[in-house]
Amino acid sequence: MRAVIKGRIGVFHLQGFLDGNNAPSFLTIDDIKATEALNIDMLLVSLKKVIFFNKNGLDAFVRLLTNIRIQKHIVVGFCDYDHKKFKAINSFYGDELSFSLFKSEKIAELFVSSNKSESKTVLLYNTDQSQRSAMAIELFDYGHNPIVAQSLAEFEEKKQHLDLYYAIIEDTYLGYFGQKVATRVTGNAIIYTVSNFLDAEIGSTFNIAYHNNSLNVGFRLFIFDAYKVVSMNVHALNFFTKLSSAGAEYNATICFVGLTFEKTPKAFKNDLEDAGMLFFDSMDEILKNKELLSDLGGGGGATAKQHRSLTKTLVNELPHFIEATVSTIAMMTNAQATKSSVKIQTLTVTDSTDQVASSIGFYGDIDGLIILVFPRAIAKKACELLIGDTNVTDEDILDSLAEFVNIIGGRAKVLLSENKKRLDITLPRTYTDVKTLLEIAQDKKGVQVDLSFEGQNFIFFLTR
Amino acid sequence: MITSEEVTRYIQNIPPAPSVVRQALDYARAGDLPKAAKCATEDPALRHYLKILVNRPLYGFKNEVSDVSQIFSILGLSSTVQTLYNYLLSLLTPKKWELFALTDHQFYDLQASLSKRWEKILVHLNIDDKEIHSTISLIPATIIVCEALFASHKADVIQLRSVKALDFNTILKRLSGRDLFDLAGEIARTWEMNDKSINLIQAASGLQSTLTPTEKQLAQWIHLLLFYELSQGPYVSAGLNEFIDFQIDFVQDIYESFMQVIEQPCEQ
Repeated sequence: MRAVIKGRIGVFHLQGFLDGNNAPSFLTIDDIKATEALNIDMLLVSLKKVIFFNKNGLDAFVRLLTNIRIQKHIVVGFCDYDHKKFKAINSFYGDELSFSLFKSEKIAELFVSSNKSESKTVLLYNTDQSQRSAMAIELFDYGHNPIVAQSLAEFEEKKQHLDLYYAIIEDTYLGYFGQKVATRVTGNAIIYTVSNFLDAEIGSTFNIAYHNNSLNVGFRLFIFDAYKVVSMNVHALNFFTKLSSAGAEYNATICFVGLTFEKTPKAFKNDLEDAGMLFFDSMDEILKNKELLSDLGGGGGATAKQHRSLTKTLVNELPHFIEATVSTIAMMTNAQATKSSVKIQTLTVTDSTDQVASSIGFYGDIDGLIILVFPRAIAKKACELLIGDTNVTDEDILDSLAEFVNIIGGRAKVLLSENKKRLDITLPRTYTDVKTLLEIAQDKKGVQVDLSFEGQNFIFFLTR
Repeated sequence: MITSEEVTRYIQNIPPAPSVVRQALDYARAGDLPKAAKCATEDPALRHYLKILVNRPLYGFKNEVSDVSQIFSILGLSSTVQTLYNYLLSLLTPKKWELFALTDHQFYDLQASLSKRWEKILVHLNIDDKEIHSTISLIPATIIVCEALFASHKADVIQLRSVKALDFNTILKRLSGRDLFDLAGEIARTWEMNDKSINLIQAASGLQSTLTPTEKQLAQWIHLLLFYELSQGPYVSAGLNEFIDFQIDFVQDIYESFMQVIEQPCEQ
């Protein structure tokens, strides 16, 4: 069995009965290796469709989860269960519970980085005060707005107003957690929360793959929320100077907010400034100053001064990217998409009304960005296999569009590997309208392929 | 991937029951086991299948049973009809399993195990109906149909499932408007099973909303029984645990009774 990947979370979806006899059959050696190779921040086992489980059954997965957590410093645990199952797991493991428990996948998603910038208001309660605080801190660090009920009575009362909250967090437990630097997205800026004493550990707790992905998909402003940082040593200093230098290729700006130099050597500040790092006293100084935000690259990504031009190697691989796109559409719809024109130009969307878009970056032997712009109806049609034909919200369409470009990225990866080219793909990003996308992609030259599908046009754009 | 045309072609190509088996079935349905056995003896493949099946450990016979009349009288009327359908279904198994890591012997074990446990369930439910008894034989048809339709699309499905937890049944339904249980029902229709069985096979998906109370009750038991079997180690390894979507809410209210029935020791 393989984990299904959504954003930065991998989930095993088990079904039926789980006990000591059948549990090892779910995970072959290949499955374990594939799981270890995943680039994710959280690995979960969903118990939603498990009607019976016992401790021996769970143990097979707990062993895998624990190994992965130790190797990769990611959050691991179980999700999608009811109160009865939550109590059962707690009684099986008691004080030895080292993994996390999330009542639903939706709740788990609140505890990982994503490319989405919405802050969610959630109601939170746990009888254990330390758990309550830990969850509130994590949620806050990921950019959410946790309302913490201090008593069961308060929780029950607040719970009546379901419409006020994105999620109600109960029957949830944070195991070994907080080993990764928390990340959130605000507009077009990415905020990393760091705290305490920063040392060489930052190299393993900071998710460099996520950072590189963000650069590849067009983010240009990165802010370290350092209010809670006490001090740092020379190893951390080296890490940040290297990070800043590496970002220069993308014209990215990296800032520190709230960092005091009471216990950190003043010379470090000079070194960081020399590497291009900026310092601000408060977050509002950046986020509420639109002009400054735009200057720093967080106003929509339109500030990149050094354009990374198309390379011959990338253009040579164009047929593979188009093949990946066309074959994905054929697989998902049983209909053919046909190419109507191919031009090297900046992204040109003639009619931007009611269009949605998605993008996915890739890096490795070649790097670049695939952008797809669809009329909303065509996007829905293309993703029907993923979402079904029931009434769907715009968010469902966008989520499916992200899954759709993920498949395209995966296919391109396979096609290019046949030519001995190694490729990694980034997290997909979606856009509810093309305005934001155009701000990011404007002035970027690329190959625009106009494709036709079921009588309507959509755009494939390949750029760097 | 899979088109409606492919599905229609598949239905059109379902082979009818061979005449010897059809005759044996007619006699068995009419309650004439000696004549049914005489017919069955004429088909060497059927004879071989029956011998292999009945001598599996699940049936618990100490000495080898090889005579068809003896086999039919051991099985009894209902189980004979059911076994003849099991044989028909075995004729549809692929030469080589590609989508699922399954062997023919594992598939026959699944058939046998489903049959034996279904028998226990019907005793518990106090139902004595040959057609309902036989229905379980056609449930593994969903696996055969799935293998036939998806084997050549394995890579596509793997890619699709890397981003979304979609089962084969849902993929097929969304692409062609028909699901694996509908197609198993089509096989039953071709083999002239009655409407009660066909409806029950389709209801066993756990996805139909308009069911009579009896249909619902039986469909719940079949659905849970299927997942009980598909949760056994060899079938999990074969990839069968994830091929259809387990409708846990559909079966929740019979779970306790189900476990009591299943955990009762077998009577020989």
